[in-house]
Amino acid sequence: MLSLLSSLLSLLFVFLISCCIITNHFSFRPLSLLKLLGVIKFTASRDDDDHYKRDEGTYVVGEEELQRELMPRHVAVIMDGNRRWAKREGLLTSQGHEAGAKRLIEFSELCFKLGIHTVSAFAFSTENWGRHKIEVKCLMSLIQHYLKSKIQYFQREETRVSIIGNLTKIPESLRQTIHEIEEATKGYKKKHLILAIDYSGRLDILRACKSIVHKSETGLIREEDVDEAMIERELLTNCTEFSSPDLLIRTSGEQRISNFFLWQLAYTELFFSPVHWPDFDKGKLVEALVSYQRRERRFGCRV
Amino acid sequence: MDLNQSMRLLSSWIAQIGGLGLDLLWRFIHLVVSLWYIVSGIIEAVESYAISLGLNKKYSSINIEKLRCLAVVVDIEEARDVSKVIELLQWLRTIGVKQVGLFDSQGLLKKSKDMILGTVPGSVLSEEIGEKNSSPDQNPLALEFISSSDNKEAVMKAANILLQDYLKSSRPENDKGENFFTETHLNEALRVVGENVHAPDLLLVYGPIRSHLGFPAWRLRYTEIVHMGSLNYMRYGSLLKAIHKFTGVHQNYGT
Repeated sequence: MLSLLSSLLSLLFVFLISCCIITNHFSFRPLSLLKLLGVIKFTASRDDDDHYKRDEGTYVVGEEELQRELMPRHVAVIMDGNRRWAKREGLLTSQGHEAGAKRLIEFSELCFKLGIHTVSAFAFSTENWGRHKIEVKCLMSLIQHYLKSKIQYFQREETRVSIIGNLTKIPESLRQTIHEIEEATKGYKKKHLILAIDYSGRLDILRACKSIVHKSETGLIREEDVDEAMIERELLTNCTEFSSPDLLIRTSGEQRISNFFLWQLAYTELFFSPVHWPDFDKGKLVEALVSYQRRERRFGCRV
Repeated sequence: MDLNQSMRLLSSWIAQIGGLGLDLLWRFIHLVVSLWYIVSGIIEAVESYAISLGLNKKYSSINIEKLRCLAVVVDIEEARDVSKVIELLQWLRTIGVKQVGLFDSQGLLKKSKDMILGTVPGSVLSEEIGEKNSSPDQNPLALEFISSSDNKEAVMKAANILLQDYLKSSRPENDKGENFFTETHLNEALRVVGENVHAPDLLLVYGPIRSHLGFPAWRLRYTEIVHMGSLNYMRYGSLLKAIHKFTGVHQNYGT
């Protein structure tokens, strides 16, 4: 019996030693024991605030390591799949959108805690006006409700909120709420949440051209002064220091940009997740960030 | 050695053995994850070869009519190997794709245009389609060569054209250009600059980064984007699978 046990232990030992050799061959960098114990402690914790920490310039979230210096400065998200999620869960479409709104608050909160400066979300596109009137009305009410109820939250979190898009067609009450929240949070600089409402990438470019025309008429610029940088400065994303997103996340498995930030996404890392937006939780965000941090971006140049 | 020292020594040994055990366990987990990815890669490769050999009936017939225009983005490092690009184009022609836009940020493929057109049978420049019957082939492969200069720089030039036209036109004083700066006008201005404004239905990205690397933004509004990995490891089966998947996509266009 003893000899059998010792044989089994020896075999296990040999197997584990070979695992060491093979993982070294694959250039895997296992966490040290101390970090492993830290991970076990953090994943066992139920408090959200303990699920990540700074540890010599890294965040440990779950079992993944995120490097602070490789964190994107601007993350954009196309929040797709609320209706399909609601249908799958046996809920109303409005409940799907509500779950999506809650998810956005959680998502942006986590992004800011991980050191990301700007989060922009495609809340309502110009094409969405073609949806059923009741759904559109519900969406506008939902946006207004969330913005109004979260003013104090954003002030407490020192988060600047900006809303970009063609705001002429939205209800007057929503426009007032937008003005209110933008005024209340305009002084904050460390975190920036941008909501794109009635936004179209093509119309953004056209609007920039029109703006340049007006400036030209007033003599502020000459025709030959129009260049890429000038157009970029006139886009609606000029409200943020980091107008070009480093990472774009789109949920629900659709692999397209759908007229969002066309100009700004030239060198953006695109991450298409198969899950619906209300299901895009912390783990999925970490997956996107890990994928981003592993890429080697050259911005079109040879390094 | 007294009892305390013995206990300390024993606990030290236990801690070291425990630490070693945990370390080995952690490496084992890494091994399992590595094996999982290896197995997934093997399965994908086998599936790809099965598709290439026509063993998978699902991919034997593709509704290629849905794919009117395909664009291919190639990372600049990989664009240096034109032979791979030529092979890809030959595959696309075999599948039945009729129009392909080739993009790399530095314009390397533009410089190799003549070689590509001379090597890929039945290929012609997309500008020449319809103007003259340059290809005896009944189903030519129309190629378009695009680089970063066709992106923002082109929009900038088109914006300048619109600005000049607007300033020269006679218009009412309160006219803010609402009827002058529309998508249609910018499309026209881009055509004047010499740009193609047709939006590709599908964009295949070959390179290490999952980004369209500066492909003309104006054209990408509803384009499906698929990252195919490195051009050096491209497989016919993966290409066929990506195109087949596209033909099954349904777009709501926001409504």
